[in-house]
Amino acid sequence: MEGQIHWRRASLSRRQFSLGAAMAVLALPNASAQADDDTFRFGLTPVFLTSDLELLNHLRSYLSVKVGGPVELVMRRTYQEITALLVSGQLHSAWICGYPYVQYRDSLDLVATPSWQGEPLYQSYLIVPSDRAVEDWLDLRGDIHAFSDPDSNSGLLVTRTLLAEHGMMPDQFFARHFFTYGHRNVIRAVASRLAHSGSVDGYVWEVMRETEPSLVADTRVVRRSEWLGFPPVAAPKSFTGDPRLVRLEEALVSMAGDPDGLKVLELLRLDGFVAAEPSLFDSIAAKVETVRRFG
Amino acid sequence: MKLFARLRSIPISYRMPLIVALLLIAVSAAISEGVLERLSRTQERFLDGLAQTYLDGLSSAVLPAVLRDDVWEVFDALDRSASSYGAMAPLETIVTGADGRVLAASDPGKIAAYSELPDGFVGRYGPGLVTIDEASMTGFTRRELVYQGLPIGTIHATFDVSHLFAERREILITLLVTNGVLAAFFSLGGFLLVKRMIGPMRVLESHMRAAANGTAEPILPGEFPSRDPEVASLFRGYNALVHAERERADLAMRLAEEEKVASLGRLASGMAHEINNPLGGLFNALDTLQKHGSTPVVRATAINLIERGLQGIREVVEAALATYRPERAARPLSATDLEDVRLLLKPELRRCRQRLAWTIAWDDQDELPIKSGPVRQAVLNLLLNASAVTAEGGEIGLAAHVSSGQLSLEVHDQGPGFPGDIAGILIDDDPGPAVRAGCGLGLWMVRRVVDDLGGQVTIVEKPEGGTVVTLILPLSGEERQADAA
Repeated sequence: MEGQIHWRRASLSRRQFSLGAAMAVLALPNASAQADDDTFRFGLTPVFLTSDLELLNHLRSYLSVKVGGPVELVMRRTYQEITALLVSGQLHSAWICGYPYVQYRDSLDLVATPSWQGEPLYQSYLIVPSDRAVEDWLDLRGDIHAFSDPDSNSGLLVTRTLLAEHGMMPDQFFARHFFTYGHRNVIRAVASRLAHSGSVDGYVWEVMRETEPSLVADTRVVRRSEWLGFPPVAAPKSFTGDPRLVRLEEALVSMAGDPDGLKVLELLRLDGFVAAEPSLFDSIAAKVETVRRFG
Repeated sequence: MKLFARLRSIPISYRMPLIVALLLIAVSAAISEGVLERLSRTQERFLDGLAQTYLDGLSSAVLPAVLRDDVWEVFDALDRSASSYGAMAPLETIVTGADGRVLAASDPGKIAAYSELPDGFVGRYGPGLVTIDEASMTGFTRRELVYQGLPIGTIHATFDVSHLFAERREILITLLVTNGVLAAFFSLGGFLLVKRMIGPMRVLESHMRAAANGTAEPILPGEFPSRDPEVASLFRGYNALVHAERERADLAMRLAEEEKVASLGRLASGMAHEINNPLGGLFNALDTLQKHGSTPVVRATAINLIERGLQGIREVVEAALATYRPERAARPLSATDLEDVRLLLKPELRRCRQRLAWTIAWDDQDELPIKSGPVRQAVLNLLLNASAVTAEGGEIGLAAHVSSGQLSLEVHDQGPGFPGDIAGILIDDDPGPAVRAGCGLGLWMVRRVVDDLGGQVTIVEKPEGGTVVTLILPLSGEERQADAA
């Protein structure tokens, strides 16, 4: 029953995200705060391959050594839950998407930003089943469309902004749309033809081309967005000055120089982490503004 | 019943194994039916259990998602369940929402999300949990999704049941092969066993056939089965029968010899009497010739007397010759033959002072196409018998006539009639019992003559007393034609 209530509330708050709604999520038993012990709590969004237990084990052990003391990796189904935990200070740090970061930029500090293919940037892709004959994204009108997450930049915001720039709401352009709460799920939905098209993180799509080529081969990219700030690692301003956050930043930035860290980066197909400026996410902020103005 | 009759006409050495095989086939058919029926029920239970588990698992997985109309979550649950329920072999699963529209199908490329449920899905279910379509080898089941007492959607599942049919077919083939091998094995065993069992019967059969052909030989001790007391007992019984038959045949032969000697004696004495009678006259004539031979009248009379007396003697001798010389027996019958009988009978009639009524209605034919010897013998025997049973001074008679290819010979007497067993010698199908009792050998010879010539005998008691014995003898066609030619 708790699950049902949980879903209903999540469904409500998805449309109109607010801190109040986030607090409601926090009231759930699973999200009970444990900030008063020594465990360093690091949140992970389903932005990428969170199902990879090997990756999680390597990341946990690397961070434990570098940060000093036990590290708990906290995962939730949606971005929103992680964001809420982070903003409310129940997480010391989290790897979140650029979209929630710009929404809560006032409450969050950037710790580090991953670097992929030499830049802390990535793209959003519009994908379709590989045998579907469309060339232009405008041909996707009337589709059943799969979004990743209501708080995802690449999995919603980019496409929504594109539509807003053309004077349309998703409900007007697409016949139907749904959220899969994971970029991998968007690829699955499109590959299985549950959705006619999907909005997906370009980095995830490219990495999965190597890790799950048979799945990704069933999809094709119709449109690539401009390059945008890669989902960063952020921390609540309330923890500013916490030595563990300093050690975390150091651990992330120097990850490429450490054998264990290199293992994590190899699994993530990342070059490393860089200390980026908040201005990296201005383009995403501009999209948020565009969408806000359009309604 | 027809089949039963045909079955009975098959030799036992084949019938027995055939019956064994048919029985085994019947039994195996019954067993196979039972096994398949049981298997079918077990499979249904198994399938119901699988379907129940599948639907339970799936409904608890999709219920929250259906409540939210969450297409992705429903699809994700379906997608994962396909690998989790391998034993169920789900081919297609569709989840519909409260409005009846498809939320997600396991193959969205075929049945798209948000579409109407295709026709045929609603009406395809039977009363049970699982409905089987044997043509497509698929099973269907569905589950209403209910939340707080309200229907919020339905799961429609289609799954592959070909493995169940394959299993049934495999078991059926195994049963058929096993039972077929068993039936063949037992039939062969039955065949060999019956062959072994009826082996001694064949020995008996060959001996009986030989006996029917006239050479009844006892079964040699070497042919007795050493370990079968019942058959040995049967063989001993047969041997006892052969020995008894031989003794009876010996006895009959001896009796016949005696009868022959006796009748020969009677005939010889009759003939001696017949020859003796004229001899007195002849000697008188010779005496007359010696004394008065010079007188021509006397001499002529005496010579005439001697001639007639010698003629009488010659007739008697010729009759005896005709009756008892075998080369004459095959000649066609003529009136003379019956006259010979009359002549041979004369001394006996005279002795008994009996009269003989004699009617021969012969048409124009001198000779009849029938062997004279046996007929003469039969008529003579019957008349001697009639004379023996008729009182002194009585009358016996013979009436012979030919009509429609048959010779009818009626012999009548004034005797008291035939005792039953004696009459049986002439008219019963099997004259054996009376003959074996050792009586009526003369009549038995008559019977043999009648049987040899293919005729028949009737015995009629006359109301005024006495008996008429009628022999009906067919005349041989070829001989008649030969005569005509």
